[in-house]
This record gives sequence, C-alpha cells and structure tokens, in this order.
Amino acid sequence: MTKFYHDDPAWADIEPIPQDDTGHPLVAIAYTAEYSEAMGYLRAVMARNEHSERVLALTEHVIGINPAHYTVWLYRARTLEHLSIPPSDELRWLNPIALSHLKNYQIWNHRQAIVDRRDSCEGEADFIAQMLDQDAKNYHVWSYRQWMVERFGLWRDVGEVAFAEEMIGRDVRNNSAWNHRFFVLFGGRKKGQAGEGEEEGKEEEEKEKEKELVQREIEYAKQAIRQAPQSQSAWDYLRAVLRHAHLPISTIAGFANEYNDVSPPRSLHALEAQLEIYAEQNKVDEARSTLEALAEFDPVRKPYWTYRQKELVVA
Amino acid sequence: MAAKSDDEVARTRLEELRLDSNRIQELSDEELYTSDSNADYEDLGPAIPSEADNIVYVNRMMPIFDDLQTETSRAQQQTLDKILPYLEGNPSNFPLNSFGIPKLQREKHVKFLIQGLGDKPAAYTTLDAARPWQVYWCLAGLTVLGHDISDYQQKIIDTLTDVQHPEGGYGGGFGHLPHLAPTYAAILSLAMAGSSAAYESINRRTLWHYLGRMKQADGGFTMAVGGEEDIRGAFCVLVALSLLNLPLDLPPDAPARAQGMTTFLDKLDEWISRCQTYEGGISASPGCEAHGAYTFCGLGCLAIMGPPRETMNKYLDMPALIRWLSYRQGAPEGGYAGRTNKLVDGCYSHWIGGCWPLVEAAVDKNLWNRSALGRYILSAAQDEKGGLRDKPGMRPDAYHTCYNLAGLSAAQHNYKFDEKMTGDVGKGSFGAPFHWKGDGLFEGDKVWDEEDVVEEVHPVFVIPFEAAMACREYFEAKDGF
Ligand SMILES: [Zn+2]
Repeated sequence: MTKFYHDDPAWADIEPIPQDDTGHPLVAIAYTAEYSEAMGYLRAVMARNEHSERVLALTEHVIGINPAHYTVWLYRARTLEHLSIPPSDELRWLNPIALSHLKNYQIWNHRQAIVDRRDSCEGEADFIAQMLDQDAKNYHVWSYRQWMVERFGLWRDVGEVAFAEEMIGRDVRNNSAWNHRFFVLFGGRKKGQAGEGEEEGKEEEEKEKEKELVQREIEYAKQAIRQAPQSQSAWDYLRAVLRHAHLPISTIAGFANEYNDVSPPRSLHALEAQLEIYAEQNKVDEARSTLEALAEFDPVRKPYWTYRQKELVVA
Repeated sequence: MAAKSDDEVARTRLEELRLDSNRIQELSDEELYTSDSNADYEDLGPAIPSEADNIVYVNRMMPIFDDLQTETSRAQQQTLDKILPYLEGNPSNFPLNSFGIPKLQREKHVKFLIQGLGDKPAAYTTLDAARPWQVYWCLAGLTVLGHDISDYQQKIIDTLTDVQHPEGGYGGGFGHLPHLAPTYAAILSLAMAGSSAAYESINRRTLWHYLGRMKQADGGFTMAVGGEEDIRGAFCVLVALSLLNLPLDLPPDAPARAQGMTTFLDKLDEWISRCQTYEGGISASPGCEAHGAYTFCGLGCLAIMGPPRETMNKYLDMPALIRWLSYRQGAPEGGYAGRTNKLVDGCYSHWIGGCWPLVEAAVDKNLWNRSALGRYILSAAQDEKGGLRDKPGMRPDAYHTCYNLAGLSAAQHNYKFDEKMTGDVGKGSFGAPFHWKGDGLFEGDKVWDEEDVVEEVHPVFVIPFEAAMACREYFEAKDGF
C-alpha cells in the first residue's frame, strides 16, 4: 500500500528535504514519488535529530521499499534506543524481514545491536537455524552465530556442537558448518590462556579432557572423509585439529594411505597429506614423486605444486 | 541421467573424448592426404585450435568426483552443466582468438559500463545506498578496458560532492549517513577523475576525523558509527589514508583514544593475524569463515602497512594462505570460488586473482594458473550483449564486469615491488603502495592475444597506476589539509 506524508496531519510540522542534485548526476535513479517523499521526510527528521514513534514507522516504510538502505537501519537503531523499545518487540518485527532478505548485511548488524542490548541470546539459535534451513552457507548468518558464541560465551557449548554436527550431517561438504565447529571447540582458547590460574590437579584433568576431545574430533573428521574423500572441508578440519594439538601429520599416515593405494588416488587431499608425511620424514625423493603425481592429477594447480617442489628443496 | 553418479559422468565424458580425438585425428589425416598441396594450408594461416581441443582441455582438467550426493555436489554439478558448453564450444558466437577462445568483447563491455553510469529506472532503488559503488565499478571497468573517462570528470565531482557528509566521509546518496563502503568508492572514483578540482572536492580534514571514529578498541574498524566491524573497514580506512596522505595519528576526538589508542595502526596487525583462519584464508572478522573478498581486503591492508615481503610474512602464515588461494581455483572451470566447497563466480577473478600480485611480491613468482582463469573470464563470463557476469545463466552487472576485468588484468600483467622504496612518491606513512611498478606482460602459458589484453591495474587500489600516483603526489606536495 502506497503511503504519503504531505497530506498526513501527523507530519504537518515537517518540511521535507528533497534530494538536491548538482546538475544531472551519474547513476540517477528515477525514484517513485513514494520513495522520494519518504526519503525527504527521513532527511528532515534526521536533520532535527528526531527520535519518535512516527520516525520508527517512517524507517519501517523506507526499509520496506529498500532494505539495503544502511542509513535507515542505523537511524532506526538509534531511535529504538532513545525510545527504550524492548528488544524483544524489535526482534518480533525483524524476523519476517530477515527471512525474506537473506543476503542483507544490515539486518544482521541491526539484530546484533538489539540482542546485545537485550543481553540474552534466548531463541537466537533457533532463529538462525531457521535461516540456515533456507541458505545453509549464508555468510552473514554464520558470522552472526559466531558473534553470538563469543558474546555469550558459548565455547564448547553442547548445543552449538550438536548444531554444527547436524548441519554437517545434512551436507558433509558444508564448509561453513565445519568452520563453526572449529570455532566453537577451539576458537575460544587462545594460546597462553588455556589452564591459566587453575589449580594443579585440575590442570592435569584438563589436559586429559583436551586429549580426549582432540581424539574425538580426529575420528569425527575421519568418518566424514570416508563419506566424501575428495571434499576439502573435513580434511582441512582434520589438519587443523592436528596442528592445534601439536600432533605430526604422520598421525594419519595409515588413514591417508587408504585413499592412495590406487592410481588415480581416491582423494588428492590424502595424497597431499602423504606428501607432507614424506616431507616431515625428510624423504625428499618420495615427496618429489608425490608432488609430480599431484601435478598430474590436479593439473589446474600445476604452478602451485611446482612451487611446493621448490619449497621442498629449500627445506 | 539423475541415476548416473558424478564419477560415471566423468568416465563417460572421457570415453567420448577418446572417440572424439580419434575421429579428429582421422579426419585431419584424411584431409591432409587428399589435399593437393600443403600451400593451401599455409594460406589459411596458423591453425586455430578448435572445439575439440577445448574438449580435450576440459577433460584433462576434470577432477575426481566422489559418489556421495549432497546439496553442495548437486549445486556443483548443475553449475558445471551450465559452464561446460561455454568452455568447450562458443554458444555466444563470439569471434575467436588464435587460441580458439572468445576474443575480449571490448566495445560491448565499454557500452555496457557507460550505460551503467547513466539513468536508472525505479527498479534500481535498491542501489540507492550504493550509487558511489556503481560509479566506481563502471569507471574502474572502463579504465581497465583502456577507455578514456576524462569526459566524466565534472560529473564525477558533482555526483560525489552531493553525497559527501558535512561531518566527514561519504554516504550512499544525498543526505545519507557516512559509511566506509561509499567513502572507499568515492575516493577511488575521484582519484580516477584526477585534477586538483577532484582532489580538492574531498574534505580531508573532516574525513580524517570520520575515519578516526571507526577505530575500535580491539584494533579493527567499523564500517559506520554503530555499523559492523569487519576487515573491509580496515581496508577502506587504510586506502583513504594512503591515497590522500592523511596523518597516521588518530584525530584527538577519536573515541578509541579513551582506550589508549594513538594511531590508526594500533593493534591492527594483530587483529588481521586473528582473521586468518585454520584454512589459511582470511575472514571478515576473527572466527568467521575464510572468504575471497575479505582475503583481498586483508592482504590490501598489509600491502599498505609496509612492503608486502615484510608485513605479510610477519603477520600471516604464508604457506597456508597460498595453499588456500590455490585451492579456490575451480577445475575444470578455471575461475575462482570465494570459499571452500562453493561455486566459481566471476567476481572472485579479482578477489582471489587480485591476491596473487600481492602474494607474489611477498613470496615468489608463478604461483597460479593464469591461463585457466583467462579461459573462464573470456569463455564463460562474457555476456552476449556486453558486460561480464558471475557465471553463464546470470545477468551481467557493473560489479561483476569490473572485477572480472580486474582479474583478467591480474592474469595478464606482471608487477614488481621496489623493496628499496625509492622514487619521489610514497614517502611517509602508508607510502608502501606507491612503490609498485608494472613488470611487463605475462608470457607463459596463456589463452589471449594482444588485442585481448587489458590495461595494468594498481594491485592495491584497483585503479590505474597513474591515477593512484598522481593523487598521492598531489597531497604529498600540499601543506596541511
Ligand atoms: Zn560474484
């Protein structure tokens, strides 16, 4: 439904500020009369720094026409704060908009500000899951989920790990889900922080727990690789877990070999792991022939494998 | 067809290929022997590689597929089905170059970008907060194509002056709040416009104050007051500081001063390091997923903070980064995908392709497959009616046109960083980007002729070299704001 302000008595006190272009600008858009007028009133209320209920309605109107309009979102956020609107009210309003504009940056930043102010992430995980049902790799949505984990300290949270697991279960190639799993399990413990200030006995216990976790994650990655050995996501996760735990790549020598006993190999990532195992063991000749095989079976990356060859000689 | 596994499809294709190449061999032998004289052949000039050669190439590039079907593999298969006809044949009926690849459709793309700068119907209202972006993409694309943009000088100045905010920075449109994305696009566009009028139209004093308000206590930058903090913010700020020769110190009114920060660079190096993920690429902010566009922004920051060899090796795990970048090149497509297990998309021709000149200046040359990227851009990304696109089946737009062309340029040219930082321009803070030089054309394995070659692009600013140099030189010579 079209909405105008010039004949609305509630807006009679406002003199709109129309778009004032110098000459005929580049990329001039033939706005509809409705959008032009709404923007004129928005500029006017912004100029007088008005934050009121009617401004809230105006921002809703403009967002409805152009949800990519960051100015309106930012001004709406300030208005909400001025009016002390309960965050839950705003979230209720926001949800359907988010669901119909999946790729929009502004919505997520807006949501983050509101949930931050609410100081509770209740219901957020479910809402995010609903969004990811429609677009399982949406960058903004996953980033928002990572913000939530950090903001509300959900490190190693059972629900978060289960969620990543569910998403990986649906599509073992969903790299965003793997990234989230890594973030939740290992992202919160920066070097030097682990175990700090803890009692001695507890420290040992922690170490044991950590070892178990690493073992579990290695096995988890392996079973995922068995489903799709050519998918990089689980391989990179596996390598990262090894690195995190300061384990050598040869830890997975037997596993990698399961995929390398035929030619062409069933997984080039296994072949790459094999290359690194040889390099680790200083078996230069074997490493070199593995690199040749990689260049043969993965010709698009031939320059890269050649560079690895050079690095090998240097090392 | 649906019952066939990817593996079977690949195998069938290989068999077809073997049959094809046998047939070609027979045909050409036959022709050779029945021909009266070899002179006929010489008159035709060098043999143009045919569709069969492209099919041979594509099949050689075909990866090993897993049997398991998931949403990702289905999307990949559908994408391949759309792209393969363009890599193997020439559905757009473009004239072919001497490599049997569509020639660069220069005139058509110029026309498309000129239209991009023109009037838009109401349906473009969603672009209203991004008009400076549209200006930048069109101008940058035109300059990569070698098209003279000097006629636009006054219009660029007028258009962007209208969206400059009185409190500093640029907004998406008249009366919009300032934001780093349009600020970045506006400054680069004004640098391309070049002239003291364009440079002086920028209020550098208010801009410096505005940029200062973006600095955060953890070292990063937000995109706007109350906006999201991500690595684009850092890159946009550093580009502005560097091109316009602004002070390294935070302005006195910068809120981050309350947290003990004194310069724009405080804790930024550390923050960028934290954006490198376990995969090796760089993410929007610490903990997020490695992504091509954010990786370019991260490398761009480091290339502004000092000589790439110094900064990148110091703050990034370079072998991990190079590995991640390499894996983003799709096979057999040749184009780049922005993330692991995602689809190729023409804009990553720049976001990933454009990382290579920066990385090569820090590590070593010849790290990537330029010819495969050129193939994707020329064969699959050019639209019949002009403009370049994400992939076949998608509509071209100014964004994908600009970044496909910038990627093509990265593939075609070599660049050199002068480690000694000699030269008259680029003294003082953020001066490193002014020590790059073109280093001739890439002469290795390639799929383009001379007439398909586009202009050099500044590896950090993605505008012409002269435009970047002249802008910095102007402000180095100027006293105060
Ligand atoms: Zn794209």
